[in-house]
Amino acid sequence: MVDTPRAAVLTGFGINCDVETMAVFEMAGAEAQRVHVNQLVSGADSLEDFHILAVPGGFSFGDHLGSGRLLGNRLRFAIREQVCDFVRSGKPVIGICNGFQVLVKMGLLPGDEEVSLSQTASLTLNDSGHYEDRWVTLEFNDASPCVWTDGLERMRVPVRHGEGKFVVPDAELLQRYFEQQQVVCRYVDPSTRYPSAADEPVPYPLCPNASMRNIAGVCDPTGLVFGLMPHPEANFTKWLGATWTREGDQSDWEGEGMAIFHNGVGYARNNL
Amino acid sequence: MGAAPVHRIEVTPRVLPGLQDTRGEGVRRQLAYDHGVEIESVRSITGYMVRAPLTGAQLFDSLRDLFTDPVIEHGVANQSLLDDDVMFAPPPEIAIQIGFKPGVTDNPAQAALGGLTTLYPDAGAAGDVATTMTYLFWGVPEDVEEKWLADQLHNPMIERAAIATRIHCRSAIWPELPFPDRPPIQFEEPAVVDLEVSDAELERISETGLLALNLAEMQAIQAQYRDLGVRALREEQGLPPEAPTDVELECLAQTWSEHCKHKTFAALIHHKDTETGEDSTIDSLFKTHIVQPTLDIAEEVDWLLSVFHDNSGVIAWNDDWSLCMKVETHNSPSALDPYGGAMTGIVGVNRDILGTGLGARPIANTDVFCFGPPDWSGHIPKGLFHPSRVMRGVHAGVRAGGNESGIPTVNGAMVFDERYLGKPLVYCGTVGIMPRRLADGRESHVKTPSPGDVIYMTGGKVGSDGIHGATFSSIELTEDSPSSAVQIGDPITQKKMVDMLVEARDAGIVQVTTDNGAGGLSSSVGELAELTGGATIDLSVVPLKQAGLSPWEILVSESQERMTIGVKPEDCAEFETLAELHEVEATAIGEFTDSGNFEVRYGDTVVALLPIEFLHDGLPQLELVSEWVPPEHESPNFPDVDAEGMGDVLASLMARPNVASKEWWVRSYDHEVIGQTVIKPFCGVNHDAPGDAAVIAPLHGDTRGAVISCGITPRYSDIDTYAMVAASVDEAVRNAVCVGVDLDMIAGLDNFCWPDAIVSEKTPDGKYKLAQLVRANRALEDVCRAYRLPCISGKDSMKNDVTFDGEKISVPPTLLYSLIGNHRDVRKAVSSDFKQAGDAIYLLGETHQELGASELACMLSESHGGGIGGQVPSIDAERNIGLYRALSAAMSTRLVASAHDCSDGGLATALAESCFGVDSGCTVDIERLFADDEGLDDWGALFGESLGRILVSVAPDDSEAFEAAMAGHACHHLGKVGEGDEIVFVNGGENLLRADLATLRDGWKATLDGGAP
Repeated sequence: MVDTPRAAVLTGFGINCDVETMAVFEMAGAEAQRVHVNQLVSGADSLEDFHILAVPGGFSFGDHLGSGRLLGNRLRFAIREQVCDFVRSGKPVIGICNGFQVLVKMGLLPGDEEVSLSQTASLTLNDSGHYEDRWVTLEFNDASPCVWTDGLERMRVPVRHGEGKFVVPDAELLQRYFEQQQVVCRYVDPSTRYPSAADEPVPYPLCPNASMRNIAGVCDPTGLVFGLMPHPEANFTKWLGATWTREGDQSDWEGEGMAIFHNGVGYARNNL
Repeated sequence: MGAAPVHRIEVTPRVLPGLQDTRGEGVRRQLAYDHGVEIESVRSITGYMVRAPLTGAQLFDSLRDLFTDPVIEHGVANQSLLDDDVMFAPPPEIAIQIGFKPGVTDNPAQAALGGLTTLYPDAGAAGDVATTMTYLFWGVPEDVEEKWLADQLHNPMIERAAIATRIHCRSAIWPELPFPDRPPIQFEEPAVVDLEVSDAELERISETGLLALNLAEMQAIQAQYRDLGVRALREEQGLPPEAPTDVELECLAQTWSEHCKHKTFAALIHHKDTETGEDSTIDSLFKTHIVQPTLDIAEEVDWLLSVFHDNSGVIAWNDDWSLCMKVETHNSPSALDPYGGAMTGIVGVNRDILGTGLGARPIANTDVFCFGPPDWSGHIPKGLFHPSRVMRGVHAGVRAGGNESGIPTVNGAMVFDERYLGKPLVYCGTVGIMPRRLADGRESHVKTPSPGDVIYMTGGKVGSDGIHGATFSSIELTEDSPSSAVQIGDPITQKKMVDMLVEARDAGIVQVTTDNGAGGLSSSVGELAELTGGATIDLSVVPLKQAGLSPWEILVSESQERMTIGVKPEDCAEFETLAELHEVEATAIGEFTDSGNFEVRYGDTVVALLPIEFLHDGLPQLELVSEWVPPEHESPNFPDVDAEGMGDVLASLMARPNVASKEWWVRSYDHEVIGQTVIKPFCGVNHDAPGDAAVIAPLHGDTRGAVISCGITPRYSDIDTYAMVAASVDEAVRNAVCVGVDLDMIAGLDNFCWPDAIVSEKTPDGKYKLAQLVRANRALEDVCRAYRLPCISGKDSMKNDVTFDGEKISVPPTLLYSLIGNHRDVRKAVSSDFKQAGDAIYLLGETHQELGASELACMLSESHGGGIGGQVPSIDAERNIGLYRALSAAMSTRLVASAHDCSDGGLATALAESCFGVDSGCTVDIERLFADDEGLDDWGALFGESLGRILVSVAPDDSEAFEAAMAGHACHHLGKVGEGDEIVFVNGGENLLRADLATLRDGWKATLDGGAP
């Protein structure tokens, strides 16, 4: 039991959602600190001292050579042991947008029991061919072991990416991720009734990137490492919603996205 | 670089079930959309030329770990993918490889080199990388030439193309660009420029040297070097006593450029008005009409912290935080290279924020563009791009610049007119935030340099790119304009620097900071030197992109992503440690002094010694003449139409580029990174109705907000620039009022983009254009005073003319007015979309017969002949501000469900847009409008663009209280939000306009759909 879990929010090299990601962890009751990747490399900071690791959104290294590739390589080669130890010690990790791309490209997601850091999936250019910022509706898999999404059904969140198409070209492997309930959330048509997540393609722009089977986020086999393309931290309060001016009273300010951070911090508080 | 071999790596996406080559597909779609050229299939190959001492095993591993995504891409080293007859079967019909020219910033290559260094530090450190992109085409129509295709894919100013034609491809000869080695350049010792020559020769020196100095200015410099005291000092320092070095002359030219010194706005103007008989003299438009009103307002408010003199204007937002804002233009570079020009525009203005006071953090961008019509089918002078290509390039540049920097683009506009075919106008703005005080007690908006502080240059290195940007933007654009003025930005290098410098500020180790923009080090150090009374720098220690640059080039180069910082000697170690952590280049290049001189050395040799006073105050004032003769225009021909016909007019109007939805373009900006954007560019049930202004809540979890809006109405300049400016300022304020701005704290930024307004052979109508500028400034003063709206910053760009192929194109006089204001509680912010069927609809403000130069008049003059003449919107600023205050009060008690400003296309388009937001139509009765003005007709009521008008909706239970709140102001009840699919305007019993909502929306969305999705 820790009363106030400490969250390391990665920063540097073009990560750009670090400030708001730090803020939402604080709102959820954690003590959050922005940690530059190089502070982990130099040993000035160590992941060992934290209970949660967040890799926020951004454009690390300008998305050159494929989004997330270069930052993923820094983590995979420069601080490999620290990262693997953190994951193996059962501490929760979240990667959002560019952070998700980083975790996928370095092989931490969908990942494997051994934490071998072998890449099996990818995030590639949206079929539309361009970056866009628009709000989507996510539906969560209630059978998933993901600790970050416990009890969640649906959530409205913005996507802000050009390379968010989740692909696993190996059909058998993709099927296995489904069977292991590692597919955590998918894009759905908000006019349908819960639950409606399905394999048939949800049309653009409801699924903004033509992801395979509408996948928006996945977790590792333990459910502790979670990544997703949309930005739950961007909906931390109601007045940041896409249509909040149509939805009446704002006196209860907390936004839909906070549930994910409450879950992550709560898990760390109760289990570490 | 030595003898390391160049390894060629090629990577292409695997095309499997569910996976496509999206880059190739994008090119295919765009050729179809922009040019109607239908090609069956396009694929792409990314190439990396890696010059590094890699072993075979390292090369193989880097292919897997770095260059290729092993899951979705296929990569090879030192062989051609095109020879793989499985991957590309059959072989392509045409293959075109694009790469950068030597010396042009290649961001992916730099990233690849960094990635290689992560894997193999030694090989990476000794290496160099260049990238290419090869496009492969199948099923190309016979009449499409290879050269034409290549021209669509690259800009020869910055890029090279290697073409494998149909014939080449049949013989399996593939395109292969060489490594873009820069030719070695010869270091030149500083030259002495003899100014003891004839006047004609002085002018020639200025012209051939791209100095952009006029004869009087050259003579002022000549006189300086005749001064005996100056000569004695120079002799003592070992400088040529009687003539400037080329370094000095270049430094003066940058500092004295129109771009930096705003010579037209500072000029003594003899103004005549043929209408009124006025004959008067104005000593500086800037001081008279912009500075003085702000200083007067500063007597009445306590929140103006820093105006005009710093890189941006600063206001005290609350007790703990201040906000600042700056808007810049980047027109000339964007004309030559739309992508790079626009990107450096946005990342450049971000640095203005970072360079304000002791450094502010950029938190929001605004982008306003003026282009030629995207569907232009008329003549385009040789050497200029088609406006659709300019638009795509500019948009992509600010998208990359803003998104990669992690700064949301929250507000903007796009305006189209054929006179922007020559120079597009690319306005880029940024809002910043900083703590009012640092931990050490210093106020962050005040720079605190002292003699002895060490001068650092941080960020990028200096290259020959970006030489002469400041002087180049101060002259007309021609086919001879230099490509060295064109650059591509590197947002990630800058983002790292922003992170580092904000930390350095908070640690209290920044004494002074400014950006390296126009004029490079000559301007940045030269300007800061004024604060302590001197500076000395050594150019030989400046890190270079390429060895061999001459001193004057290092001094004036505008290479991107650089800041100049002053740090106390005892803080230097901490400063350098921070730079190292963030992997930011930081070099101590000199120190501030109180010697009275800006001294520039190269090693031990003094290459320039300029007295600070002469550098900043030696520029002679221009004397100019202006004369106002009102232009004459014919009236439009109004067709005879019934209610359905009027609906068709509305549909056509809404499909015009100026009114049409910009959603496809705006959605590709990140408008909500940082988690603060409360009122976004889009609203409504389908997220597609346009917002009026942005509201942000920059402190997470705090309900205090800021409003950002803009106004731009260049059409009215054709009749009267006074009306143009009044309308622009009113539009900015009106937009801000619509979202609930706090009218007690609003500040503005004036950005003038004018055609050359100085009479000359090239500009015979200069007197008229200058009179237009005088009238514009008078409107700015009048309206700002009435709205208690101080201008806190601004900029002017005074040479927006091009001559290509003997044809001159000048922009219409254009003011962008940007506004930043306080919002007391973002939970009370209001959006433009109608909310509920049954809500009462009101039009606030008076409607007059004001169709002069309206969007309708422009449309009718194109379709039915006739002119654009008529009454332009006039302003009654006192009446407007009274109404705005009443509406703001009503909003603060939550009486208002929606508010939308009436601008282009008048009431009818505003109503349609608010209806889009609720996805249902309505019937409104506008009979009451005709009481405002007995000259008002149906056209004027529906489409007139009278100022000061806002369309609002109110819940039925609130309408009584709302009407009471608006008592004494023009407030016309028009009807209620409906449930059907039709928009109907009636006048009493008579139907005026009937239109189907879906039809209106389809047309409104189709015009600028960018080749959806």
